Amino acid sequence: MPVEYHVLAGAEDRDLTQLDDYRAVGGFESLAKARSMEPAEIVDELLASNIRGRGGAGFPMGKKASFLAKGTGKPTYLVVNADESEPGTFKDREIMFRAPHRLIEGCLITAHGIESKNVFIYIRGEYLHEFEVLRAALDQVRKAKLLDGVTVVLHRGAGAYICGEETALLESLEGKRGQPRTKPPFPAVQGLYASPSLINNVETIATVPAIIAMGGAEYAKLGVENSTGTRLFSLSGNVVNGGNYELPLGTPLRELIYDIGGGIPDGRELKAVIPGGSSVPVLTAAQVDTPLDFDSMAAQKTMLGSGAVIVIDDRCCMVQLGLRVAQFYMHESCGKCTPCREGTRWMVQILEKIEDGRGEHEELDLLLSVCDRILGKCLCPLGDAAAMPVASYVDRFRDEFRRHVDEGACPFPDSPLDHVLAPVDQHAHEVHVVP
Amino acid sequence: MIDRIREIAKQYPDSRSAVMPALRLAQEERGRLDREAFEEVAFALDLTPAYCTGVASFYDMFHLEPVGTQLVEVCTNISCALVGAQEVLEAFESELGIRAGETSEDGRFTLRTVECAGGCGWATVVAVNHRYREPVHAEDVPAIVEELRDAG
Amino acid sequence: MSSPELVTVTVDDREVQVPKGTGLVETALAAGIEIPVFCYEPRLGAPVGACRMCLVEIEGMPKLQAGCTLTAQDGMVVRTAQTSAMAAEGQNATLEFILVNHPLDCPVCDKGGECPLQDLTFRYGPGRTRMTFSKLTTEKPIPISPHIALDRERCILCYRCTRFSEDVAEDGELVAVNRGARTEIATFEDEPYRDRFSGNVIELCPVGALTSTEYRFEARPWEIQNVPTICGLCPVGCNIGVTTREGKVKRIISRNHPEVDQGWLCDKGRFAFPALRAKDRIVDPLRRVRRRGLGPVSWDEAIDEAERLLREAGSGVVVVLSGSETNELAYGLAKLAAALGGSVVLPEPDVAPLGRPLSDLAGAASVVVDDEVPLEESAPIAALWAKQAGGEGEIALRVPRTPNGVGVAEAVARAGAGSASNSLQLASGPALLLVSGDEAASDPAVREMAENAQAVVAISMFQGLVLGWADLVLPGTSYLERDGSMTNMEGRVQRVRRAVIPPSPDELAWLAKLAARLDVELSPYASVVYEELFGEPFADLGEAAPLRAAAPEGAMTGVRPRTGPTGTRLVRYRPLFSGPAVERVEKFSFQRPIDEAGLSREDAERIGVRDGHPVRLRTNGTSAELRARIRRGLDAGVVLVAEGTAENLKPGPVEVTRA
Ligand SMILES: Cc1cc2nc3c(=O)[nH]c(=O)nc-3n(C[C@H](O)[C@H](O)[C@H](O)COP(=O)(O)O)c2cc1C
Ligand code: SF4
Ligand code: FES
Repeated sequence: MPVEYHVLAGAEDRDLTQLDDYRAVGGFESLAKARSMEPAEIVDELLASNIRGRGGAGFPMGKKASFLAKGTGKPTYLVVNADESEPGTFKDREIMFRAPHRLIEGCLITAHGIESKNVFIYIRGEYLHEFEVLRAALDQVRKAKLLDGVTVVLHRGAGAYICGEETALLESLEGKRGQPRTKPPFPAVQGLYASPSLINNVETIATVPAIIAMGGAEYAKLGVENSTGTRLFSLSGNVVNGGNYELPLGTPLRELIYDIGGGIPDGRELKAVIPGGSSVPVLTAAQVDTPLDFDSMAAQKTMLGSGAVIVIDDRCCMVQLGLRVAQFYMHESCGKCTPCREGTRWMVQILEKIEDGRGEHEELDLLLSVCDRILGKCLCPLGDAAAMPVASYVDRFRDEFRRHVDEGACPFPDSPLDHVLAPVDQHAHEVHVVP
Repeated sequence: MIDRIREIAKQYPDSRSAVMPALRLAQEERGRLDREAFEEVAFALDLTPAYCTGVASFYDMFHLEPVGTQLVEVCTNISCALVGAQEVLEAFESELGIRAGETSEDGRFTLRTVECAGGCGWATVVAVNHRYREPVHAEDVPAIVEELRDAG
Repeated sequence: MSSPELVTVTVDDREVQVPKGTGLVETALAAGIEIPVFCYEPRLGAPVGACRMCLVEIEGMPKLQAGCTLTAQDGMVVRTAQTSAMAAEGQNATLEFILVNHPLDCPVCDKGGECPLQDLTFRYGPGRTRMTFSKLTTEKPIPISPHIALDRERCILCYRCTRFSEDVAEDGELVAVNRGARTEIATFEDEPYRDRFSGNVIELCPVGALTSTEYRFEARPWEIQNVPTICGLCPVGCNIGVTTREGKVKRIISRNHPEVDQGWLCDKGRFAFPALRAKDRIVDPLRRVRRRGLGPVSWDEAIDEAERLLREAGSGVVVVLSGSETNELAYGLAKLAAALGGSVVLPEPDVAPLGRPLSDLAGAASVVVDDEVPLEESAPIAALWAKQAGGEGEIALRVPRTPNGVGVAEAVARAGAGSASNSLQLASGPALLLVSGDEAASDPAVREMAENAQAVVAISMFQGLVLGWADLVLPGTSYLERDGSMTNMEGRVQRVRRAVIPPSPDELAWLAKLAARLDVELSPYASVVYEELFGEPFADLGEAAPLRAAAPEGAMTGVRPRTGPTGTRLVRYRPLFSGPAVERVEKFSFQRPIDEAGLSREDAERIGVRDGHPVRLRTNGTSAELRARIRRGLDAGVVLVAEGTAENLKPGPVEVTRA
């Protein structure tokens, strides 16, 4: 199968953490090309490439760059979202530890395109090794005098999923509790330090050198309509070869799981797939032929999200999955808005009861109602991120939920998610509730 | 420490941005964030100690209670859990003789579960003082613990 | 400034025109429609959109929007719960989520009956609970200061209190800690919330999570009366409501005057009222018995005695005013003195009103005060206005030292009394010194005058102040017990209302009697005296008084920051938390700066001390050990020491070291 690498190109047989190696595969040529162009031309290339954000929301990068407020008298900031914390996602990490220079090159090109002199990379605190690799790479770039007056600051997070949400990230970067802001004002107008700011994911930015090298129009030919280019898909769960795979958008899910991923281990059956990180609705085994692109996923009432594909085999209990997902979002809810803070905790309580075999049938409806009451009412999308997947588990695996009630116990004795200890239970005994 | 914090603060247009790096520095120096740590950070950045606790307590990596010199973190989010994270966790519990969320009496080990560590395809992810080991299987745990004990 | 563009917005099918940019909550209100809110409070800065109570449907937007975060745009079509099923469902959902962890202890909650959560639940909430699980429980209530109790179970995390602390008071003491469902409101290491504006969080809290320890279990809303009046404790003259029950003051709340106080009060104004019930409160006239003691006498005897003393002294009578009198009382006293040919000592002869609303300070680029002592000590709410400064121009400010210094000066002038402008003139000793009020009675300079006087009559609320040096003591009353008017530092004449009946007749009542004996015409009614004094109907003094146009133009020009010595210097000051009332309320002790040295950040850093560390101060050969208190905004070099603390130290050059 012919694979065309763009983001990880060259990393198969070279140590791209070294500037010389990176240069040997054409590194920083795009930057030189970009600097010979007018900033507006760069944004035009981004627009032409039709590249959509790789962080989760899939917003076209070129459009976002063109929204930046001009003539405000304030500096414009480029903020790179390297907080990667969406469960199932580990692609940005691999970009940073295998091709840090490509990220830096992307930053410098983008900064030129938006006429910014200040770049902040917000990297999740747990990524210590990646921070060190990136810092070393940045030193090499600085010594090689490639920065050209641009400052790049690496800012480490400290353990909070919500800081991946762009406005929470800005708050955190400003030294505050990482709680999302209301929009408007949008970051493009009032972002970091109330100045116009462009926020993009690591992978999005690391794709920019390829776009400049090829030209936006050429890049747009990769992938499929409305989902151009390649993406790094993070494959994990019950699959033989977990890992990140750079593939053109539109690749069928089946190809990723079976041909590349080696299928389900130990001769088990596929039960379900989470196609875009834990916050998206689940697909059943019957939907495994869905192509990995934005529109095809939307047609299946789910989302491509962060491109994290989590494979679930037939041992797994979907109630336990719902509980574990809800526990995650309860733990990570920032606590600012009511529906998310209270609703995620309530979801956990209901799911615990159902999983324990003490639930009633009405409580399935109650669970759906709680999800529905969270949906679309929160300050940021985290509440939705909890409600949507859990509602989809009930919707698509309602039988399993019913059996818990009817049989008065969990019918999946071999489920690997049985009684997994979630941090929310361990750190916060006072909120672990036994009804 | 005040000077080092102010040096960090110079990177930012607003010194308040340095609060997280400063807290990290104080924590590295003192093992955890205690009263004095907050007072120092607050003073260096012209904030209040209360403000600094508000920030620190928001983030999981800041320790307001003492933790062991070896912090063992096991990811139990879905990708890791699907391939046996709970068994790995339990193996650590029995090898270390402490439950998740606890610190050993000699103050050397703290064991805790964490949310998705970002190594899902190489599960189960275990981090020791934020150095990742992946994948870890339950049967690998005794050797890891022995190594950590030898490391002191 | 050009007048703002008007836009047309449709709210629940009603069209309304508002200036572009008006908040949607206010826009709906203009159309007569309520968008319910919890976290929204425009005085706290930009909206945060946290509680989600205000969800509304906006035509053209697929999702519900937090109405509080939006502003009016032309052609906007808004549907609230009144006409949108989606918005109604959203509000109902929010209330259900809020109540999921809110205890149903309304019957024993002080907020019950005046609780926005209770009211909104009644109007928009779910009728029954679907929450069958255990609620979060915490220890309750815990004192976050001697004034304030925190019940974390009731907290709905609207972040009003923490936003007040961070953005209005800028004290940074009250914060949210932890994350998600475990988020709670806290202070550093459970230390008391000490800021001088702390009490405002009680009023800001939309539920019963932050309550006043003084008011706890004292009254239910349907048993109380709220009397609108003015705080008489500093020259700002905040508009207050005095809650009374069965003739006793139970609490003091703000009564937002948008030009004066913006709805904030300082803790002195809010929490000092228990002094009314002080143990040493004087309720009967007292006369000197033997050399030092005082013994009660009847009112008849007291008036007789006063008349005798006044007649004997004649033009030798000198009246010393405190500056806390109402305009009418000051006028009455001055009129009496004038009739006898005596004179009046003004508390501050050179006082001048600002002549513009305090709210103007917020629109200035900078506020200049001719004093090294921070504004928050002398006129706390003015300091809150000054913190908002960020506009254009400079406003110079000289703060009167007494609550009604401006009004008293005007009243005395209008009464035609000769003023003994300088206490030094009095050194020879007046025939009769009439000391009015507690501030004068506790002033050492006045005591010195009294030493030389042949006779002394004092009007005072508290025994402790007059024991040992007055011949005749007449019971004084508080501003909470008086009728009349006071003039604040702006020059605004405001209505003072009697909230509770004093334990003895108020000053104007017996002064009128005494005046009659001396053939001086003086009404016992404040309304009549007011009309005589100002020539305007008393009834025209509304609830929210306007600023009189007559304020002297440019009175404050010439005010410049004090340029004195530049080295490290000890500055003595009268702290906000001082004075006869504060001293009688035990709860204030944690806020009083006793044994403290206020230092600037720069100086603290130079000396190498942090908040609370011991420091040694040396002046003129003596020294004292005090605790360092770092004060933001203090000029480098200024070392603030309160009156009464380490009195051996002299103002002027000082050496400060770590102790
Ligand atoms: C709860 C939440 C968590 C998020 N986490 C991340 C993250 O870890 N990394 C990321 O790039 N984007 C994350 N996002 C998306 C960002 O808000 C934002 O859309 C993105 O960084 C924009 O970059 P892109 O357009 O290049 O994708 C998250 C969003 C939400 C609501
Ligand atoms: S949805 Fe959740 S994470 Fe987002 S603001 Fe609300 S409480 Fe915070
Ligand atoms: S009032 Fe609008 S979100 Fe709270």
